[in-house]
Amino acid sequence: MEPIIETHGLRKHYRGKGGVDSIDLSIPSGQIYGFVGPNGAGKTTTIRVLLGFLRAGSGCANIFGLDCWRDSHSIKRQVGYLPGDLRIYPWMTGERALRLVERIRGIDLKSAGNELAERFGLPMRQRVRTMSRGTRQKLGLVLALAHCPRLLILDEPTTGLDPPMRIELAGYLRERASAGDTVFFSSHTLAEVEQLCDRVGIVRNGCMVADESISDWRNRAPRIVTVRFPSREASATIDPPSCLVDLRRDGVTWTAQLFGPAAALMQWGATQPIDDIAIERPDLETLFRTFYRS
Amino acid sequence: MRGLLLKVIWETRLPTLLFGLALGIVMLLLTRIIPQMQREIEQLLSHLPLAKSMMAALMGIDVKEELNAQVLQAFVWVHPAVLSLIWGHEIVFCTRLPAAEIDSGTVDVLLGLPVSRRSLYLAESAGWLVSGLVILAMGAAGYSISARQIAPDMRPNRENVLMVLLNLYCVYVAVGGWAFFVSSCGSRRAPAIAVVFALLLASFLLTFLARFWWPASQLEFLSVLHYYQPAQVLRTGSLPPGDVAALLAAGAAGWIAGGEIFTRRDICTV
Repeated sequence: MEPIIETHGLRKHYRGKGGVDSIDLSIPSGQIYGFVGPNGAGKTTTIRVLLGFLRAGSGCANIFGLDCWRDSHSIKRQVGYLPGDLRIYPWMTGERALRLVERIRGIDLKSAGNELAERFGLPMRQRVRTMSRGTRQKLGLVLALAHCPRLLILDEPTTGLDPPMRIELAGYLRERASAGDTVFFSSHTLAEVEQLCDRVGIVRNGCMVADESISDWRNRAPRIVTVRFPSREASATIDPPSCLVDLRRDGVTWTAQLFGPAAALMQWGATQPIDDIAIERPDLETLFRTFYRS
Repeated sequence: MRGLLLKVIWETRLPTLLFGLALGIVMLLLTRIIPQMQREIEQLLSHLPLAKSMMAALMGIDVKEELNAQVLQAFVWVHPAVLSLIWGHEIVFCTRLPAAEIDSGTVDVLLGLPVSRRSLYLAESAGWLVSGLVILAMGAAGYSISARQIAPDMRPNRENVLMVLLNLYCVYVAVGGWAFFVSSCGSRRAPAIAVVFALLLASFLLTFLARFWWPASQLEFLSVLHYYQPAQVLRTGSLPPGDVAALLAAGAAGWIAGGEIFTRRDICTV
């Protein structure tokens, strides 16, 4: 099946403001793709190339098999975009903004838009200039989602949103992905990416440094393991298995990081005088951070 | 395209009406006051030859020519307040896209919609041309109200006034075309406005200096005011086709170049 988003060797530099050097993406339909990286890594530049705001210096960028620069106009019929630094015309109300988008897209968005506004708790009659950051963000989301696009490109969509709204949005995006739509999601909040995305790509200094499914990330991510022995003596004398690293002995308890599957630890544990073993959820955030920094 | 036109109308209707209203009032007052002050103006200009040169340059007449009531009628159409209102409006209008949209960051939302840059540019340009007509029509309405009170033998006939309006609209097209060009080259509105304003000021100075400085007279063809001569038009009743062609060609060149730059350039708000 043809990927929804595909880039090869994407490179773009402009006016000394940084850019991207080598971005390769292949995102199939129905996937929630998390695009993460530190500030200035090239996330927004990549999104701008995908939307036809910037012309790729070299390499190619396609959406739905169409060229992102040349066919930008056609592509955006089926794309919903939320900019990172959202600015909406201050004189508009939510209703008027929706009507404008409706006229430009040439489709009736009234019922879908109002449903979304109700779901997100957005007052549609309020003027943008009097809206809080979070309310403006909600309006941006309603305008980006109301036409049920096949592809959602969201640049840090949860900025300014309160926790209940973040949960609501995550639920909505999962619904859309299960209906076959694709979500391209840029974020700084690693925990959010971990909970929501099927696949995560990490970009640093304009280059992709990792691109794996969330299950692969989980297999690689360390898990905190706590082992409790019946006595201090056992805790002090028993040799740990090789799968445990950063081991700390504290009385009758060991605390360590487990890399790889838990089966090896279980096999070892079955042969030892152990009272209890507790394995926490994989800590993807720590793993992501190592890619951020290294 | 309909949606984009609607957006342009929503955003510009109030400033256009305000500028038009102001122009109408200024035209009404000037048309009423100037004939009554003919003697005072003549005395003043005879004491201030520089002011006479400036006025002659604006109206497109010879400095030595007598300033009779009919010639003074042309002054209404070149009064600095009139030109400032018309140009002020169009500088504000023509720097909206892309400079102001990028400057304010709203271009991200706009270009995130299924619109081509060309259609955006066309919608904005249609709004500019129509609002120019609205403003000039409101100015002409102000003029017409006061003109009824001018003695019939002193009053320019309606066809001649229409010719002046047409000439002024051609100036509007020329200035706006280049304002679009300047706006397309930048990402900040204030510098774009400053550049267009500086070009207009330079244009005026060139026309003024050309009256008594030979090197400037060699370059006068570069000034937009060189092609706007309301006194001549009112007197002869004919619009010089060369002037119209030059103004329209200059405006079209700036507008087309601006459009090509806008459709090809990178758009970045951060």
